[in-house]
Amino acid sequence: MKLLTKTNIYTSVTTIVLFAVGVFVVFKVIVVKLDSEQDEQLLSAKEIIIKSLKEGKLPELFSSNIGEKITIKEIYKQTTSANSYKEYYENTVGEEEDEESLIVKELSFQCSVNDKSYAITVSKSLVEGKEIGEYLLGIMVVFLFISMVVLFLLYRFISAYVFSPFYETLTKIKTWNIKKNDSLVFQDTNIEEFQLLNKTIQNLTQQIKSDYRNLKEFTENVSHEAQTPLSIISTKIELLMQEKNYSIKQHESVQQIFQATQRLYKLNQVLILMSRIENKQFVATDTINLIDCIEVKLEELEDFIEAKQITIIKEFNTNVFKDLNPVLSDILFNNIFINAIKYNIEIGGTIKIILNTESFSIENTSNRNKIDKRFLFERFTKSSTSGSLGVGLSLIKKIIDYFNWQIAYTHKDGVHKFKIYL
Amino acid sequence: MRILIIEDEKPLREDIIYYLSENGHKCDFASSVKSGLEKLSENKYSCALVDIGLPDGSGIEIIEYIKDKNPEMGVIIITAANSLEDKLTGLKIGADDYLTKPFHLSELSARIYSVIRRRNFGGRNTLVFDGLEIDTKEKKVLANGIHLVFTKKEYDILLYLASNPTHLITKEALAENIWGDKAEMATTFDFVYSQIKNLKKKLNEAGLTNFIKVVYGLGYKFKD
Repeated sequence: MKLLTKTNIYTSVTTIVLFAVGVFVVFKVIVVKLDSEQDEQLLSAKEIIIKSLKEGKLPELFSSNIGEKITIKEIYKQTTSANSYKEYYENTVGEEEDEESLIVKELSFQCSVNDKSYAITVSKSLVEGKEIGEYLLGIMVVFLFISMVVLFLLYRFISAYVFSPFYETLTKIKTWNIKKNDSLVFQDTNIEEFQLLNKTIQNLTQQIKSDYRNLKEFTENVSHEAQTPLSIISTKIELLMQEKNYSIKQHESVQQIFQATQRLYKLNQVLILMSRIENKQFVATDTINLIDCIEVKLEELEDFIEAKQITIIKEFNTNVFKDLNPVLSDILFNNIFINAIKYNIEIGGTIKIILNTESFSIENTSNRNKIDKRFLFERFTKSSTSGSLGVGLSLIKKIIDYFNWQIAYTHKDGVHKFKIYL
Repeated sequence: MRILIIEDEKPLREDIIYYLSENGHKCDFASSVKSGLEKLSENKYSCALVDIGLPDGSGIEIIEYIKDKNPEMGVIIITAANSLEDKLTGLKIGADDYLTKPFHLSELSARIYSVIRRRNFGGRNTLVFDGLEIDTKEKKVLANGIHLVFTKKEYDILLYLASNPTHLITKEALAENIWGDKAEMATTFDFVYSQIKNLKKKLNEAGLTNFIKVVYGLGYKFKD
């Protein structure tokens, strides 16, 4: 969810709740106010009636503006001086309470004027509460709508102007690549938080960059420096192997040291190769026909393909020429085909090669499980049956990145498929 | 053959000298550009092994000197992987061959033989052992005078073994020599084994039973 959508939701909900509470309170206040106003009106009506009676006016002549309905009854004796109020609904149409019914408030009192006692009731109808509520609701909705529109426009404005440095920062970090980009440079902003954010990110990326560089240099130095001692070890072992008078135990030890050194040496070779690719030490390019490249590899690997009785299915429809570094393209196709042969089923598998101007794909049958995509091109992911899978694939990935190609991996019904978008 | 080894890493240099001497070469050494150039001006060599990264300069200087003063001399670059862009660059600057460290001594020996053979126009192109003759120019093998027919791989293996006649050749070195960077395939050693078996069979049939011994677990030997 976007930052502004989220804040929008919160402010909208708050606004609605506040409006509702406000309306309720206003409604209540108005009702109470109206009620007391009515009481006052009724009391003033009482005064007028008493005054009129004192002046001897006939009750019939009382104008109706002091009350909607006045009843005056002569009684024998005044029993109370208290005012009593009564509220009831009066239907304008039927007897039953409905939407049109009015609330009527009635004041009953007794008074004695000129030695006569009267029981008097005065009533006044009230503008109905419900109706007030409806009015208020209407007003609220209108205001709510207006405020929503205003808020929306405000956020548009905020996101366009106020938040623009933030979004710019975001875009910059998103496209930042530790291997490619130089240090991040952000646009100036006068908002303190964004200044701080930019500064922090700048410091962080600089730190990351320098750590990365140090680590890279370290790996490079280690692998380069390892070459000489490795050479010495491997030639020494080779000479040791020339000895004839070994016990079986010694013979085995020498053999194992030799094999371990071989592994170390191959690993080191890959590391050096990778750092050389990263440092862009393969600049020269040739125009290479990928079909030739594939055919040459198939021929070179003929022995291994035959040994596993692998059927090769080729789907090429056109020559595909690319300007590539010949060393890297050779390593790339070598690794791709070696993987497809090495991890193929024991005997009688298939390798399908599809090449067109957009892509190159290779599918091979295999007993292996789907490779976890998270670790697919990680350098040293160990598969359960072979330690070299990770290095081979990460080398493939590295060269593909170098060529600015894309690679996708899928696995279906025991067939592993790598598709390279050229 | 007289060979000059220009390499500053003493243990490595000593091993190379030891191994090549056992193969009948006469070896001199130098550990810097300066002493290398001195040696080259004093003596005549068939082949020079040149390390590119030397303490007082680049081996390229030495190669340029050789190409200028003694162009018929063979040059093999032995270098760390990062010193030159690739083999092509090495060959462009005038070397006959290029080996990255670490390498198998047997591979080095085979390359030296191959360079010397190529350089030795019209000279000795035939390797002769007891009853076995390998004509490297015609790629022909004669066993007790009978012409044997080998596949290309069998011939390459035979030549490789014959270039290291008294040494044990590891199956790894042999596999790498034949398949290069494809040698990591799991079935490689079986291939080497079956090729050797065919090779031995053909030699045996021609009456040569002394050649190619299997050293269990390690590799092969051309002869005892």
